[in-house]
Amino acid sequence: MTGTAITGTGVVLPGIGDPAGLLRGAVAGAGPVCPAELIGKKGLRFKDRATQLGLCAADAALRDAGLLGPHGLRVPGGRVGVVVSSNLGNADTVCRAVETIARETTAALSAMDTPNASSNIIASETAIRFVLRGPNLSVCNGVTSGLDALRWARLTLRSGRADHMLVIGVEPDNEITRRLAGGPVVDGGAAVVVSRTDAEGSTDAVGGAAPRLLLGPVVRTAELRDAAARLTAAAPDGGGGLWLCPDPALVPSGAETAGLTDWGECSGALGLLQCAAAVGWADAGRTGPVHALLGGAGAEATATVFRPAVRPVLPAEAPAEAPDEAPATPPAGPLTRHAPHPALPVEEPA
Amino acid sequence: MSYAITGVGAVASIGDDPGQIFDALCEGRSGLGPLRGFDRERFTARQLFEIEDRSGGDGTDEPGRATRFLLEAVRQAAADAGLPEDLGGIPVLVGTGLRELRSLELWWRDGVPFAAGDLDFGPALRRRFGAYDTHTFAGACSASLYALALGWDLLEQGESDTVVVAGCDTVTESMFGLADRVQFDPPDVVRPFDRARRGTILGEGAAAVVLRREPVADRPVRGWLRSVAVNCDAHHQTAPDAAGVRASVERAQAAAGSRPEDIDLVVLHATGTPLNDRTEAEVMAGVFGGARPAFTGIKSLTGHTSGSAGLMSLIVALASVAGGRVPPIAHLTDPLPEGEGLRLVRGAPLTTPVRVAQINGFGFGGVNAVAIVAGAA
Repeated sequence: MTGTAITGTGVVLPGIGDPAGLLRGAVAGAGPVCPAELIGKKGLRFKDRATQLGLCAADAALRDAGLLGPHGLRVPGGRVGVVVSSNLGNADTVCRAVETIARETTAALSAMDTPNASSNIIASETAIRFVLRGPNLSVCNGVTSGLDALRWARLTLRSGRADHMLVIGVEPDNEITRRLAGGPVVDGGAAVVVSRTDAEGSTDAVGGAAPRLLLGPVVRTAELRDAAARLTAAAPDGGGGLWLCPDPALVPSGAETAGLTDWGECSGALGLLQCAAAVGWADAGRTGPVHALLGGAGAEATATVFRPAVRPVLPAEAPAEAPDEAPATPPAGPLTRHAPHPALPVEEPA
Repeated sequence: MSYAITGVGAVASIGDDPGQIFDALCEGRSGLGPLRGFDRERFTARQLFEIEDRSGGDGTDEPGRATRFLLEAVRQAAADAGLPEDLGGIPVLVGTGLRELRSLELWWRDGVPFAAGDLDFGPALRRRFGAYDTHTFAGACSASLYALALGWDLLEQGESDTVVVAGCDTVTESMFGLADRVQFDPPDVVRPFDRARRGTILGEGAAAVVLRREPVADRPVRGWLRSVAVNCDAHHQTAPDAAGVRASVERAQAAAGSRPEDIDLVVLHATGTPLNDRTEAEVMAGVFGGARPAFTGIKSLTGHTSGSAGLMSLIVALASVAGGRVPPIAHLTDPLPEGEGLRLVRGAPLTTPVRVAQINGFGFGGVNAVAIVAGAA
């Protein structure tokens, strides 16, 4: 059976551009993300903020996976698809348009806003910019959207519709999204590239990209606690490793956690920030599984487990101790060993 | 491989269920009417294909109507398939162009109560059907056929035995207004594939089907899904690309194991816009060559129902497969030159055996989805 793996990631947050930074937490005093500085001004005009942020995350993830080079895509574009997770993406275009119509008439609208009235604008602009002709999906599914997007990417890879799926999660911060969310919104996000491997558990991905984490099944349950129970029951080691869970009470004792709560309301971006955090964990040499869960109180939940891909290690490079016990570069910051009340951080922030 | 379609449901401006909609199409009854939910004075275009369900007077709107249409279509399809009242863990995949953005507009402009969580349809499907494996996809005008492709994959990959796939949309004032901004001479009617076509007019509606890996004993099968192909032009935000459209059609036919001459009916996307119809006609002429399927389309009478349009067309195709009757393309009198070789159904319904039908859905952003359905073997 076809396996699937994360082969690249990109993080777009104020002052943070890599998964290791994500695990360290917010950067004090960092200004808003400037897309033109990250990917150049060309092609950004008339794009809404969410689309610009999405293009930045996409660019970084495709490069990280080795799929995008100086002369464009290195694999056939027909075999690369896009899934975008965003709930609030075009809320500003929509609300400002009705405001303008009420104040004047449609003559006062800008025709350049027309494509942005459709909620699939981020995914279609991403396809156009990078010439990705595979399946093009926009998931707007509430708090679970990010991990739902991962589920659909995994499914379309397994069914053979694509070899690589670029999965993006972004949300913009503006007056309208703030009022909707009841507070500041992340104004950024993350992306991952998910690729087919030739067999379940294999570390050979199609197109030469190197798997960083292998994807497990994505589970959907009626409540968050059911999802946590499913992951714990399925874990051979009883649920150790890293847990990324909106309800700390559901994290098994002994597991490590990272809150990812420093950036305001993340909504559709949160699942992709979890994926990027998992890459940061694996890149730091950690080998334990990463459990990612999303869901609101009393509402449906989506969850999955990532397992860091074990790369062949030459004898000369073999670490003296198992990496999980003593990581070569421990991820500093808000990673905490979870213990029942009160939570005691075992690693002090750097 | 093919999967059984065991239930169908739909609502549109021309009918409250699939049977009424099919009859209206055959009889040439249109759902076009004056704007009801928007202030007419602010727009150049003043017609839409709206469903008459609002409690207030003209020019006043109410939130939650896309959700209402969706719930009714899903209710019909689930009942038709004999599914339990509580859908529980059965996946419900909803393709939509505009989600509940109309409610968002009313919230922002008029202060109508609205929660961000109700932008998607999950909470409403949970309340009404107990469904928790619910998914809202924003996929412009091919959204419901795109959702159908994912439903197919869930069955094929063994993740589920039963899937509900739906599409729904109301018209948002932002989308209508932005289109109005650039449409200086709005069309009086929608004329798909006609030389005199001058653009599309949006409509409201919802459609749903129940897909099963295996048919259920003693329950009718409404048709068989043979394939759904999806891709993206990666070419332009609003204009179609013939190469991308053609690739999606050829892939759907290959996946279904159908040659062009095996297909008896094509339900076109056919929006009545100059460029879209020309591109679709060129691709159809190229793909079908000497094969002579009947071609029809529904949007001259339903309007362009956006996210629900693809599944609405599919349900019409199933009715043609079942009854051997194909509704005509209303308001088509003088076919566009690119479609001159195509057997376009016009004037009156065509009586003909339909064993295999193809359904086209092409959306904003170049998102293409094509499905192939068949009757009992």
